[in-house]
Amino acid sequence: MKTNRSIITRMSATISKVENLTGLYALLVVVVIVLGLVTLPSITYYDDQLYEKTLNPASTLHPYDRGGVPFGTTPVKSQYPENSPYAGYVTTYLTPFSQWLADTTHHMGTTIVAHPGGIIDEILYNTRGFDTVVETSILFVAFGIASYLFRRET
Amino acid sequence: MFNLPTTNIGGQELFVLEFGDIVAYFSPYTTALFVFALIFTALAIVSRPEKQMDIAFGGDAYYAKVVDPELMRFQRFMAIACGLATLGAMVTGDVFNFTLFASLVGITNIGIVAAYRNRHVLNAAFQYGIVAMLATVPLFGGAAIVVASTGTLSMWELFTGAVAVPLIAKAFLVLGVMGEGMAPFYVAKAEITRAQGAPFILMVHVSSLLLFLRVAEIVISM
Amino acid sequence: MDAATYSIGLVVVAIGLIVGFAAIIREKDDLHRILLTDLAEVLALVVIALVATDLAEALILPGLVVGISELMAVSEVYIAKEGLKAPEGPPFHIEVMDSAPGILALILVAYGIVLSGFTGGAVAAVGAVFYFMCRGHAEQFELIETVSGYAWAIWIAAFFVFMFLPAYWFFGVMMAGGAILIKVMAKMSLVGTMRRGGPNV
Repeated sequence: MKTNRSIITRMSATISKVENLTGLYALLVVVVIVLGLVTLPSITYYDDQLYEKTLNPASTLHPYDRGGVPFGTTPVKSQYPENSPYAGYVTTYLTPFSQWLADTTHHMGTTIVAHPGGIIDEILYNTRGFDTVVETSILFVAFGIASYLFRRET
Repeated sequence: MFNLPTTNIGGQELFVLEFGDIVAYFSPYTTALFVFALIFTALAIVSRPEKQMDIAFGGDAYYAKVVDPELMRFQRFMAIACGLATLGAMVTGDVFNFTLFASLVGITNIGIVAAYRNRHVLNAAFQYGIVAMLATVPLFGGAAIVVASTGTLSMWELFTGAVAVPLIAKAFLVLGVMGEGMAPFYVAKAEITRAQGAPFILMVHVSSLLLFLRVAEIVISM
Repeated sequence: MDAATYSIGLVVVAIGLIVGFAAIIREKDDLHRILLTDLAEVLALVVIALVATDLAEALILPGLVVGISELMAVSEVYIAKEGLKAPEGPPFHIEVMDSAPGILALILVAYGIVLSGFTGGAVAAVGAVFYFMCRGHAEQFELIETVSGYAWAIWIAAFFVFMFLPAYWFFGVMMAGGAILIKVMAKMSLVGTMRRGGPNV
């Protein structure tokens, strides 16, 4: 029985094992990447990107300073500016505590993502807010699964 | 301003939803998929779990398997979440947003099958979970290559003829959806469908089928 | 950021991806597969980071969260599949755990609220976890889950404020910032107390 198994039989026997599923998928990805390596030189970086990073080392908000005055319009290079008439307001906004930090120290830029306001919040909440909604839903579902399985055991 | 540039697959847009940079659109194609997903989500909401029977051979004896109400509630929640994620993935007009919806579909699928106590089913769910995790790599990688090489993520811009999307990005997107929807790996699905709870299991198949139809539209159009 | 740097970076990442996925092909142990998968996900974040704009930075955050939450769910499936139980033993206990929790947890939670946002949630959660770890937690998962559910709803409301009432953007920022604080704190306390060793561990 073992001797005269055709190659197709052996292949389908390997594929039909659930344990080999991960390896199979990883193999597929490796094949695509190896084929893709050939085309990599043809991929060129597009220079006119959205939400470009501009660096101003002298600013207290160093990596995240995008200029503009609080509660005024600041130009933000978004995809569809006409859809977000108030884009730029969140970019310049700092809570009083963060404003105080920015005025007195040079380290506000390193902690800006921990405070409400700034360019990242502008993108995450305003112009690309839909992404964040989906992201939190993923988190919600994942914790739902984890806590359901956990509570069932105990 | 908003005119869907390609007419060869989706047709003209019927209705547009603007969420900042992300502009969801309804063309005849996506509307058809959307309605299909909507019907199955409604079915998941109203349907009752199937009652399986075990028949003892050599006699008239049979016994019904007990349906755990707690498990049923959890599965129904996951099936509805999966339906909503599919609805989102059908109409979104942004590549990165689409990859996020695909991940959401993947994780809700894990949730639907992970609720069982049967160790065999759990093993299949686990292997599928690993594949769904791996699939986020080509998905996000594909979206990142799209934004780096074209400077935009919006399908409205990408579908125009002037923008050339690298082949590897398209391949990555298809590969990612394959992993999340588990479509070609029917071996794992066969293991999973042995479990009871037919209407909710059905959602796994519907969502992966619809995701595939949608990614085909995206890849062909851009 | 110029085109040449990007191409070099892309080649390096592609080689890294090949190595990572080749390791997954060879690995047969389930637990090691989870760890390797987590490693491979970091490479996806690197591909996004190569774009090097503010947009890339904003895209990394959802990517990271998706990876972490899937890891969380899959490892819980793994525990259920293997039927693992925490080993029974005398709970870890030293004297400082009787005196410190109240004040330290209070300081951490207060500081977290001042920071607000994602990092603030993490800091406040460390305080809450420390308190639960020392004092023992009554099973209050329902409460924590309900709170995080409300936080989720507040977040969705903040999104709709941004989209349909953009003039009230300030309320949107505050709602989203507050909701993420509550949410991260609730989730992390949940993770921190998810142990299987009885009430006093």
